[in-house]
Amino acid sequence: MIAVLDYGMGNLRSVEKALERAGAEVEVTRDADRIRAAAGLVLPGVGAFPKAMESVRELGFDELMRAHVDAGKPVLGICLGMQLLFESSSELGGAEGLGLLEGDVAQLDAPGLKVPHIGWNEVAWTNGTPVAEGLSNPAAFYHVHSFAPRPADTGDVLGRSTYGTEFASVVGRANIFGVQFHPEKSGPDGLALLRNFVRLAA
Amino acid sequence: MILLPAIDIRGGKAVRLRQGDFDQETVYNEDPLEAARAWADQGARFLHVIDLDGAREGKPANLGHLERIANELTVPVQYGGGLRDVGAVRAALAAGADRVILGTAAYTDVEFLDACIASWASRVLVAVDVRGGRVSVAGWTKATQMRPEDVIDRMQRRGVRQFVYTNVDRDGMLEGPDLDEVKRIGEIIRGRFLYSGGIGSLEDFRGLCSLRLVNLAGIVSGKALYENRFTIAEVHELLDAA
Repeated sequence: MIAVLDYGMGNLRSVEKALERAGAEVEVTRDADRIRAAAGLVLPGVGAFPKAMESVRELGFDELMRAHVDAGKPVLGICLGMQLLFESSSELGGAEGLGLLEGDVAQLDAPGLKVPHIGWNEVAWTNGTPVAEGLSNPAAFYHVHSFAPRPADTGDVLGRSTYGTEFASVVGRANIFGVQFHPEKSGPDGLALLRNFVRLAA
Repeated sequence: MILLPAIDIRGGKAVRLRQGDFDQETVYNEDPLEAARAWADQGARFLHVIDLDGAREGKPANLGHLERIANELTVPVQYGGGLRDVGAVRAALAAGADRVILGTAAYTDVEFLDACIASWASRVLVAVDVRGGRVSVAGWTKATQMRPEDVIDRMQRRGVRQFVYTNVDRDGMLEGPDLDEVKRIGEIIRGRFLYSGGIGSLEDFRGLCSLRLVNLAGIVSGKALYENRFTIAEVHELLDAA
């Protein structure tokens, strides 16, 4: 079972349905026992980093996620959920993140272009990753964001997008994965990525 | 530039109108979700969902269909038709719309437009539906004396950055766009816009690409797709190469 962590940020229905279509048994939950029982965790989210992190802590997701990762089970962060995996963000005065990945999150630097960055954008895979298996390189995904991660270790950058400047759009280390874009809105390629993640959690 | 397949909903079905005429309707699918699913499965990158009942009645009438489409399918969706107060816009976004299209009320209710831009600027598009060279509102049932250029200028001064420009006279006719018209509109839009109306062949996409308008972000197609004049893959190949 894949648990989609529900911390009250945004519509989780499309993430849930997409994971189901990718072959997973899915529960949208904030229940600690269900989260402990999950083979894989998905941390979604839209909105602002500080408020999201506050909810994540209040619900005890930080401890639960750390235990899950330590047990060798996979985690996927989507959009804001991916940013939360890092140590900190400068959004709205700044806040600390989960620190599961090293590095921070900063405002997208796209001179002359509109921020938020909204739309389809190519992702070029850099380091080999199981979530990209079977996908073309580059492959296009649907992005909606104003901030982007800056992994401390370039080995954690699994894919890059370019919007004004290049940014890390897929990150990960061992059993931790994160995507800046929305695979649940990215058509057949988005589903293929989710299917790869679901397979890792099997 | 992307292709946006259009799903117009009337009476719970996916239909196409000819030149915006409610008496000239063709039903293409009994279930709008299935019409949308066909485009999504073929790789559509955005869906253009219009609530025709809502456009005429002045309030959303097909949010249930929007919710099904947005949740069941893995593709972003824009929704318009009858969004005339902030509550209706909020309901459409909550139902899963990634973007909303404002029409009539954007013209008649400045407070409403300002409120939408203040809250959701990046997710708001304004429809400029043109009939006989003049803007038409209320589900194309009411003609105005406004020239599209003046309307766009006024909207831009209020902070609107995204438009859907439709030539209603050409809609459903499959005879191609007026490239001079699209160029003229493209040159006054400072943000981005989508073009809709009359797309009938791959040649029409080539023509629009040849204008080299960097702010033309997408092209809406309805009837031609339903009638298999081209496939989504063929259009993507052409647009990606442009």
